[in-house]
Amino acid sequence: MATAQNTHAAQQPDLTDRDLTDVAFDPITRIIGNLGIYTKIDFPAREVVECRSTSSLFRGYSVFMKGKDPRDAHFITSRICGICGDNHATCSLYAQQMAYGVKPPPLADWIINLGEAAEFMFDHTLFQDNLVFVDYCERMVKETNPGVLEQAERTPAPGADQHGFRTIADILRSFNPFEGRTYKEALQLSRLTREMCCLMEGRHVHPSTLYPGGVGTVATPQVFTDYLVRLMRAMDFVKRAVAMNDDVFDFWYEALPGYDQVGRRRTLLGCWGSFQDPDVVDYDYRHMNDWGNAMFVTPGIIVDNELVTTNLVDINLGMRILLGSSYYEDWTGEETYVDKDPLGNPVDKRHPWNQTTVPKPQKRDLDGGKYSWVMSPRWYDERTGDHLALDTGGGPLARLWSTALAGKVRTPYVRSTGQGIEIDLPKTPSSPEAHLRWSPPPFPNTLERNRARMYFVAYAAGMALYFVERALAEVRAGRTKVFEDFKVPKEAIGVGFHEAVRGVLSHHLVIRDRKIANYHPYPPTPWNASPRDHFGTPGPYEDAVQGMTIFEENGREDFKGIDIMRTVRSFDPCLPCGVHMYLGGGRTVTQSHAPTLGALA
Amino acid sequence: MADIEVGEPDVRLDAPAHTPGVRQGNHEGLHKRQPGHLPDDRSTARRSTGICPGSRNPILPGMPNLSPA
Repeated sequence: MATAQNTHAAQQPDLTDRDLTDVAFDPITRIIGNLGIYTKIDFPAREVVECRSTSSLFRGYSVFMKGKDPRDAHFITSRICGICGDNHATCSLYAQQMAYGVKPPPLADWIINLGEAAEFMFDHTLFQDNLVFVDYCERMVKETNPGVLEQAERTPAPGADQHGFRTIADILRSFNPFEGRTYKEALQLSRLTREMCCLMEGRHVHPSTLYPGGVGTVATPQVFTDYLVRLMRAMDFVKRAVAMNDDVFDFWYEALPGYDQVGRRRTLLGCWGSFQDPDVVDYDYRHMNDWGNAMFVTPGIIVDNELVTTNLVDINLGMRILLGSSYYEDWTGEETYVDKDPLGNPVDKRHPWNQTTVPKPQKRDLDGGKYSWVMSPRWYDERTGDHLALDTGGGPLARLWSTALAGKVRTPYVRSTGQGIEIDLPKTPSSPEAHLRWSPPPFPNTLERNRARMYFVAYAAGMALYFVERALAEVRAGRTKVFEDFKVPKEAIGVGFHEAVRGVLSHHLVIRDRKIANYHPYPPTPWNASPRDHFGTPGPYEDAVQGMTIFEENGREDFKGIDIMRTVRSFDPCLPCGVHMYLGGGRTVTQSHAPTLGALA
Repeated sequence: MADIEVGEPDVRLDAPAHTPGVRQGNHEGLHKRQPGHLPDDRSTARRSTGICPGSRNPILPGMPNLSPA
């Protein structure tokens, strides 16, 4: 074990005899200004030599959840995030349902699946078209790679008959913030998809009608028809968007040979599964492998392009929360809450069920000391003894990859073949039917993480159509019950596995004396943004950026760091509302964006 | 716990927990108090309205009861 970890540590770059410039991007975030990327760049060699990702904000949910009524957990944990709060609420419900031993009526699960499918469509579109594509838009490319823009003007778009843009440059112009056509359409679509989420979950992003044991949504044919109408209109956009994405990313490979190496990282992907199948799921830990494999997004861990496991019990037991560069004290001397899971398997002290958060604020030390509030979640691979720094590939890449290789999903509109995924979207108001195919790329990189995102929107749309049909079948059969009674047990444990929009999400819950004794949510960003652990293994952002070639044409003085930003953003972290850039030598460039809300009118 | 100085808590940690005497939403057998919900997971028009719900029920027993809201 130590050997493997040391190998990783040995790969740390040799910083002597190189002309290095410190370039820091801090904060990079969308929610709370807490992500910073600190790099050392060798400008003569055009290479990022070292990267550290830091977070300067402590949330403390695991601290203040203790002692609260477990029935409040989903309402409180929903507030972790301002864009995927409903994913947290849903995940918390799964954990609570396991602890209370209650299975909601099938209609309730279909309604939650519908709400979550709408959330995936909403969030991915908003992120991709309104935030990621700002890095690829005409104005940005003109500033960073004018040569590429010239080539884009001359390159016809292969999918022009589907999306209507004649050249690649026309597509890039449509990405221009506040004025481009795609940018504005995506904003309108995000309204539509949020309405879909609200129809099912009452409110977006902090749902008001989700409870353990079921939902409060009144299931009528009307509510599903309202959803369906919006879904059909959204599909028009999705079909165009997939064709547009393919054109842009294919062009990027062609225009910048070697760009496939940008953001490249060893394939270490994790997906915790999404969309429960009410025919199978009973929320009992002892049957978690069965109902986990029945999910409509198959959970799985992919190491070096091989699917290691799809068993949620294995995934759960392999979770380890490591420290090393984080501002916490170790909890080895603290209480062990769960020593064996309900199947009798031993649970590690570093597992979230047994974690005690002991914050220890201190000065940031980027040179071998502690530098982040993020811990280092890892997955212990029993085969090799490695603690793997899994990433989520921004969410969609891991979800599609795991589902594709597992070959378990069979629905009328979305099918997994064992090698890839087939998505059939029907004819919709302004577009003919579309048949999409997604296959795993040879390795994960920046562009493939982004490409997978729009394919997953199509995946969620296809799934939503299936869920509407199943939900309406329940209503028409007269089975309109959406809530099951339960009692809060005196002592219990539970775990919820779900997918937040940007990747794996788990909530671990321990109840004692009918109150929360321990509660640990693990959203995707701790996995992706984790700092170096005590083995020296860098977190995924650090790993993907480190060793990267710079393709930007600008020199040191007007460097924007676009390739680094594209890579970090491909993981779908929290994006900048303002970016402070510090260039070594004491020059600070401040760039801020003011959202002009009236620009749509 | 951590060696961080924090103030005195001004509310009990479990303040939002259940208050004795208040009916709980998840209470077992609650369907008895919810008109229009039948014990066999079906519902009738009474779920949606208290005004002449009977006349809004389906006219034949084999028809699904699709209550208006």
